[in-house]
Amino acid sequence: MELSVDRLTKQYGKKIAVDCVSTVMKPGVYGLLGENGAGKTTLMRMLCAILEATAGEVFLDGKEICALGADYRDLLGYLPQDFGYYPNYTAREFLLYMAALKGIPRDMAKKRAQELLEVVGLNEVEAKKIKTFSGGMKQRVGIAQALLNQPKILILDEPTAGLDPKERVRFRNLISDYAAGRIVILSTHIVSDIEAIADEVLLMRKGKLISQGTVPELTKEAEGKVWELAVSPKEAKVWQEKAAVANLRHEGEQVVLRILADDKPAEEAVPCEATLEDLYLYSVQGK
Amino acid sequence: MELFRLEHKKLWRKNSTKICVLLCFFYCVVFASFFGYQCMSFGSYKEHHDGKNFDGYENIRNCQAYFRKYGVLTDETLQEWVRDSQSLSAQLDEERRTQGAENPETVHKYYHTDLFTVNGWLGTLYPELERADMLGVSVMSGYVEAEKLTGIYGRREKAVDTFLEISGQTGAERDYLLRIGEKVKTPFSWKWVDGWSSVLGSMVSDLGVVLALFLAIVLSALFAGEWHDNTSPLLLTTKNGWKKLAAAKIFTGIAFTLELFTMVAAGTIVFQLIYLGTEGWDMPIQMIKMYAIAPMNMLQAEIYEFAFALLGALGFAGVVMLFSALCRNHVLALLMSLAVSYGPMAFHDRVPMWLEKMFDLLPLVGSGSDVFRTNTFHLFGHYIWSPYLLIWVPFAIGILCLRPAVKGWARRMRV
Repeated sequence: MELSVDRLTKQYGKKIAVDCVSTVMKPGVYGLLGENGAGKTTLMRMLCAILEATAGEVFLDGKEICALGADYRDLLGYLPQDFGYYPNYTAREFLLYMAALKGIPRDMAKKRAQELLEVVGLNEVEAKKIKTFSGGMKQRVGIAQALLNQPKILILDEPTAGLDPKERVRFRNLISDYAAGRIVILSTHIVSDIEAIADEVLLMRKGKLISQGTVPELTKEAEGKVWELAVSPKEAKVWQEKAAVANLRHEGEQVVLRILADDKPAEEAVPCEATLEDLYLYSVQGK
Repeated sequence: MELFRLEHKKLWRKNSTKICVLLCFFYCVVFASFFGYQCMSFGSYKEHHDGKNFDGYENIRNCQAYFRKYGVLTDETLQEWVRDSQSLSAQLDEERRTQGAENPETVHKYYHTDLFTVNGWLGTLYPELERADMLGVSVMSGYVEAEKLTGIYGRREKAVDTFLEISGQTGAERDYLLRIGEKVKTPFSWKWVDGWSSVLGSMVSDLGVVLALFLAIVLSALFAGEWHDNTSPLLLTTKNGWKKLAAAKIFTGIAFTLELFTMVAAGTIVFQLIYLGTEGWDMPIQMIKMYAIAPMNMLQAEIYEFAFALLGALGFAGVVMLFSALCRNHVLALLMSLAVSYGPMAFHDRVPMWLEKMFDLLPLVGSGSDVFRTNTFHLFGHYIWSPYLLIWVPFAIGILCLRPAVKGWARRMRV
């Protein structure tokens, strides 16, 4: 199975939301990273065939996805960023409704809904109306509905938003188990989630795909650009204004800054190991 | 089927649906039917006409019992009724004079023994007996000489003829209407008319006005509500996508309309059977309106009015679903739905006749009581009695709206 994106572009008036993105995805977990407005959601909506591209195409095994129609949607699981639900439905009823939309026979739908409610930890509240759920619980209902039809292509737009650390770990394990033989594309601002589960990372900025690779490959790009510098609290304020400071921690009387810069920012600065977050922040700042 | 079942369940899960159904039931069944029969329409008057008592059931039985002695409308029975009425009127005068107030029981007997219905006949059939100096002082039955009330059926035929002429129906149109009227059989069976008059004149014929409001509230959110719930991205990425869902929604809208109608109709019929029973079902509708030309009895007219309300409701449901599919905002869809029904109702009497007739063809704008009317539509060189069209055209409009609703929704869903 191969999902290929060919010069995909989406333009709203003069604004280009996605700018000529091309990539090829095979089974595995793909993490989409980028600041707000980078075009991640627009790209995902075009991959789901719910948003018409201004130019370019998406192919699944060489066939254009819009032409595949229901056959493509049968393979698809999608969790939108702003997940909509029916407030008066219980979690179980909502899953059964979505299962009917996905064409899953009733008996199988009941079984599958029960399994997924357990997987996402909502089996004890399955009879409660969704409107009474917390943000994290609603998000888990969204994840469960995306998995109902055991999709070959799973697209999750900010799936960990609103989840507590324990639930995030549960979600990461779920996706890692699920991804075998499937294409999973997820976007998030939580870099550690991507670091933990993504086989490949796609870094987007201003609608463009600026980097793609495994986590080690990408962090390599940031090597030699991450520095630590110990300064006084007064100086720390000055540094925050004149340099890209990724982190700041207090050590005794001093403040240790983690600075992203192409060149050594000060004589006392020492190079340190780059992480995906460093690369993300570095790219976000357009360096 | 499963999708329809769940979509239907989803509609009923909404609080707005439950509230609307409850209000509709309360208004049509509890308020209009139960309170209507027991108090507002048929309760006896309190002293000094200060409201009504809660004794409709008993009064209806008394009225029905009173009319059993007539059986058939003839010159003799009409004269007998007039004499009875005049005697009651005299009794009221006597009570006022001797006791200083009317006996409520006498008042009720006087007003509820078809007083206004029969006076309507007298005015229609015996206009020469009407006294200009008595207008506004007393009803015609109060002063007319009973023995002068003769030749009732001949007078009715003449009155229909004159009425058609005054209404501008001449030539082929008039002949067509008179041909329909020829099938009206005489003599007319005469039981208590007021009960049926109330059923056919307002209770059933006005159902549409109420149904329109609640159908608009519930169904305007059927498609447009998906935008409010922000579920379109989910729906569009499922195998059944919008197409089967749209079909499920259409069937849900139709099912809900049938359910709402059945609830209201069943409630109305149950109370009608409890209070009125079936007595008088075989009276011709001319007993309510002498000018009517339809050869129908009360039961047939009631069936027509229910069918009119049902087909109108289904037609209106189709229109509301179209607006719901075309608008992203269900409030806008609601306003448009209400405007298309209540707008023409509001301007109905202020527009030219031809436009009024067009308005009547819109779902739930016309009235089931049009079965009493003598209007026609002139189509392709033929005259068609208006109820024939008024019952089917609104339904056809609704059916025609369904395909554009599905197409429109699909177009709106695709960003």
